[in-house]
Amino acid sequence: MTEPTTWAQEPHLLNEGEFLREVHSFNFWFEAVSGYLEERPFGYAPDLTDGPMDPVQRDRLITTLCNYCVGEAAALEASSGLIRLAPNHHSRVFLATQVVDEARHLEVFLRRIEELGINDPETEVRIRANAGLEEFRRRLLDLVDRGDWDAADFAQNVLLESMEDTVFRFHADTADPITKEILNGVVADERRHLGFGENDLGRRLSNDPDGQRRLSAVRSEMDPLVLGAFEGVYRDLGIRREDHPKLGRHYLDAVERLGLTR
Amino acid sequence: MNDASEEAVVQRGGGDNDDRRTYELEETGFLEVPKRWRKFYRVRQGPDDELAPNEVVCPVCKVVIRSYREYRPGDRVYCMPCMSRLVVVERDDGTLEADVVY
Repeated sequence: MTEPTTWAQEPHLLNEGEFLREVHSFNFWFEAVSGYLEERPFGYAPDLTDGPMDPVQRDRLITTLCNYCVGEAAALEASSGLIRLAPNHHSRVFLATQVVDEARHLEVFLRRIEELGINDPETEVRIRANAGLEEFRRRLLDLVDRGDWDAADFAQNVLLESMEDTVFRFHADTADPITKEILNGVVADERRHLGFGENDLGRRLSNDPDGQRRLSAVRSEMDPLVLGAFEGVYRDLGIRREDHPKLGRHYLDAVERLGLTR
Repeated sequence: MNDASEEAVVQRGGGDNDDRRTYELEETGFLEVPKRWRKFYRVRQGPDDELAPNEVVCPVCKVVIRSYREYRPGDRVYCMPCMSRLVVVERDDGTLEADVVY
């Protein structure tokens, strides 16, 4: 039974400082993930089982999951490096939770690949990795190594996270029950990551046209790598070519809100 | 959602003594925030899922953000699932949407 709603319960009544302290806290993260991950040790309820799967379909799913692993491994390495570059403690605490999320995503995707019949998922990921996504990973880590917070935050938490969020959501709608439940849990995490990236950059860039121009250049360099990589995933998922642009719209909306249009 | 139904309208008047309709919020199965905040959010079930007067969509993460009272232009709302701060705006066609405030 839900308790009656009162005006005083509204989250919208918090002042901005209280709101940020709440949503960036470890406790918020812990209570949130407990809601959708409890009793799902590898991202899905243990009583779910695989039905029959066509061998071609299975092979395509393995390739798709291998590329998800490339993206998640990149995000794991980059977000842990970003903790050192973060501009304040709120951001450091938040990034610590993101590191855990990314590690979990990598783990559940590797497990799923193994369940689909691959004995050595790590090697399989290397074999099936999309070259564009690997190049994106190298450039993202280079931005982190150079200490470029804004560019790395953009590349990881806006570009990569938006594209992953869109593709994972689309994939979840058509996936087998186990992959679907794993993806739904990952999407729930991605909301926090992409929101953090856009809001952090939005605050920092709102009065900084030079910063916007610089990130627009970073964007035009890195966009094709991720967009190209996801084209391959779309093919494997059987998405019609004419529907591909629609899938980039979520990301393009974010770019426009941030003033990073070319 | 049926929050716009007459049953959902429990009284007039919000917390700041205006004449807004108020709504009883039920849990929607949304689990991505701590328990005390869950009834203020829900997942939108596609384009045919009509929004009630106390609901707007977060432009960043697409979750529906709900309130105890109907929204009016200028209201501040928070999207906890993606940590965005938003303001309710009225579009040319009279619909209410939320814009991100950085």
